[in-house]
Formats: sequence, C-alpha cells, structure tokens
Amino acid sequence: MDSPIQSRPYLSRRDILKSSALAIAPLAIARANYAAARQQPMTANGGTDPYPIPWLDKFGSHNQAAGPNNEPGHIYHFKGRVVRCNNFTGVGTDNQGNRIAFGAPSTDYGWMQGEYWAARTEQHGTFVHI
Amino acid sequence: MFRGPVAPANEIHDFHPPIAPSGLFWVVPVPDGALTISADGGSFTLVMRNVAVIDQPRFPALDAIGSPATMTFTLAGKSTGEPVMYEDASKHFRFTGTRAACQLEAQVEVPSIGFSWKSDPLDTSKCGFAIIGEEVNGRYYDS
Repeated sequence: MDSPIQSRPYLSRRDILKSSALAIAPLAIARANYAAARQQPMTANGGTDPYPIPWLDKFGSHNQAAGPNNEPGHIYHFKGRVVRCNNFTGVGTDNQGNRIAFGAPSTDYGWMQGEYWAARTEQHGTFVHI
Repeated sequence: MFRGPVAPANEIHDFHPPIAPSGLFWVVPVPDGALTISADGGSFTLVMRNVAVIDQPRFPALDAIGSPATMTFTLAGKSTGEPVMYEDASKHFRFTGTRAACQLEAQVEVPSIGFSWKSDPLDTSKCGFAIIGEEVNGRYYDS
C-alpha cells in the first residue's frame, strides 16, 4: 500500500532561493523600522520653491509670452517688483571668430523680487527668468 | 542664436535653465548683490555669472536634447515713464508700472562641443518690448 504522504523528491535551486529570501525578510523589516524610528520629527509643509503660474503657453509650458496684457511674471502667489522684456536682437562672436546674431521675438528675460507664497507661508526672494 | 534668417530651422543654439520639476519655467534664484535697483525704482542692472543652463536648440520639441552650458549676462533697463496697467481678474493678476528700455550682453560656453560665444557690448543690443513695475497675483490679488 502506498503512503498517503508524498514527499518531494528534491529541492530545486529556485526553491532554495525562495526560502532564503523569505527567511531574511523579517530581518530586513526590522532594520527598516529601526531606521524610521531614528529619524527626527519634522514639519511637512512642502517646499519653499515658488509655484509656477498656472497658465500654459502654446507649447504647454507654465509661461506666457511677454507682451501687453499678458501675465508678466513666472511665479504665482506673488507680490513685488517685476521686469519683463523680449524681442532682443544683437550680435556676437564665437570662439572660431564667426559672427553670430542672437535674438528673436521670443527671446525674453524677466526678474521678480518680492514676496511669494510657498510651504504654507510667506517667502521672500529674487528670481530671474532666462 | 541663428545661422541665417531667424527661423526654427536655422536655430543653432538656445540657452535657458531647465524647467523645474514643479513646472516653474526657466527660472533661477538671483544671488544677493546681483540685482541693483535705483532709489526711485526706475532703472536696474542685473549681473548673473556662470549660471548653469542648457543649450537646447530644438526646444520646444519634447525630445529636444539639452547640453550642459554656462551663461554670464548683464541685463540693464530703465523706465520710459509711459504708464502701463495690465489686469485680468479671471487670472488673478494685476501689473502696474511703465514701459521700459532694456539691453543685454551675454557670453555662453558649451564645454561638451567646445563652443563659446560672446556678444558685443551692452549698448549694441536692442529690445522690442519691456515693462517695469509691480505685480500682484494669486492669493495676493484680492488682498
């Protein structure tokens, strides 16, 4: 009569690797818990970098072309000084001596200096759009 | 920069900071002392040195490659005195100021391709549109 209990004839290498991984899992979890417990308590108010303006230009960027009646700055939740300018033209020289013009209607610069809102409170800074 | 007439097909270099992960578009902080504003607020000079930018001539193509580059520039401007006010309540912004005249000189370097370029002096450049003033937007618009 055959035994009702069938033992597997052998363990494959895959079975051994699976068993090993399961065996060390509790150690890994304990190590992660230990590391978390050692972290200092901290605030979690978000970063202090400025928010972009919500409006998208025709290329899908958080940007508006410089021009009359358009949003002049690039930072949202902002109050302060702003300069916006575009359509620069000029010429320069490269390291091979070639004269190369720069500028186009879309060549714009701008700076913003003042108060902006980030990390749930007032921040202050000066930024430039290049 | 363009080789030949100004057209996308002729653009050989385009320098700007990367777009931030937040979406903030081509904006970098200005170090203390880099921006000088006159007492009456009517003129300014911004001098930025060795700004980390990328050279991305095929922008705005989504697959446009950017090469690391540096840029040093001086941007100077002065109010013309002509008043300007732009406001869009639907977008929560208001700008109050004047038109301005601005000029730019710059130099760039792209080490990976051995390229550098320097513009002629500041007073040789021209600018088609400029404004200087005060802006409020977002949460500050209604306050």
